[in-house]
Amino acid sequence: MSILLFAGFVVLTVAAYLVTRRIFLAYKYPILNPVFLSTLLIIAALKAGGFTFADYTPAKEAMTFLLGPATVALALPLYNNKKVLRNHALPVLAGVFAGSLATIAAALVAGRMLGLTKGLLLSLGPKSVTVPIAVEISRIAGGEPTLTAAFVVATGMIGSILGPVTLSLLKVSNPIARGLALGTVSHGQGTAVALLEGETAGAMGGVAMAIAAVFTALIAPYYLPLFLS
Amino acid sequence: MTTRLLKIAWQILLLWLVFRCGAYLVGILHLALPGNVAGMLLMFALLLTGVVKPAQIEAGGGFLLKHFAFFFIPISVGLMVFGPLMRQSGLTLLAILVISAVVGVVVTGLFVQVMHARSSR
Repeated sequence: MSILLFAGFVVLTVAAYLVTRRIFLAYKYPILNPVFLSTLLIIAALKAGGFTFADYTPAKEAMTFLLGPATVALALPLYNNKKVLRNHALPVLAGVFAGSLATIAAALVAGRMLGLTKGLLLSLGPKSVTVPIAVEISRIAGGEPTLTAAFVVATGMIGSILGPVTLSLLKVSNPIARGLALGTVSHGQGTAVALLEGETAGAMGGVAMAIAAVFTALIAPYYLPLFLS
Repeated sequence: MTTRLLKIAWQILLLWLVFRCGAYLVGILHLALPGNVAGMLLMFALLLTGVVKPAQIEAGGGFLLKHFAFFFIPISVGLMVFGPLMRQSGLTLLAILVISAVVGVVVTGLFVQVMHARSSR
């Protein structure tokens, strides 16, 4: 039974992905983001069948096994864009630093104005960087790591839906700028969308994700408390 | 077809090995990096120094990158356990996340586009 359930969840996830990917590639509206649509479909299916996330977890573990090697594969577009990196090192670094500082500040200022508790604010702080780092930063700062993981995933989804729209509204058409913006704010999920836009944007997403993660981990102990006092 | 599949599988194994090396280095050096990002930087160094040729990982790497978004679906399904918190303060949190994401995207996007336009002039 459990092996059948496992296989069923994998088939459900892969099928949802393949169908929503087709829809997205056909219409290219950001709201049709495959991760967003598939997640809605799968959660609805699990709830309808009376399953919990714990039932789904073994399938999740198996399906995310290749995320590590996939992230390593980002070195490939990075290598193909090494000229861009060498020629624009300063705007790349400055852009990612500025974006990371701004996105954290915006979350914490808005959170304070809306009366969030200190624990929630600290859990929100590192939400724009990739899950393994965000969780560590949150734990060290005194936040709630599981909550941070949820915020990271939600931010990934929000940024990959609203990011491309916002950039287009502002007439940011340069693929370097678009990739960096998506990777800085929405880590791997933003990078996934940037990869759909093209190789240069995808490579810059990977670069931004790496720089933002290291930068945020380094500044968090000094930067987060500024918004709490 | 079969040889192509074998090639993809073999190259993914290679990428996985570099990922494990990255994770190992992070562990022994106590770096503030996740293993996958360290693995990416390590692979970048291997490519730059010519130890690994792009052709040796292109088939497997290309396959994983084409479906990069897939991996975030099972992770996002995990949001379902936060139902009670979402019902209680979901809208407030959503508003904060939206504001924060838009501010970050605008700052990085404009910053880079403007600086880039200046430096290429």
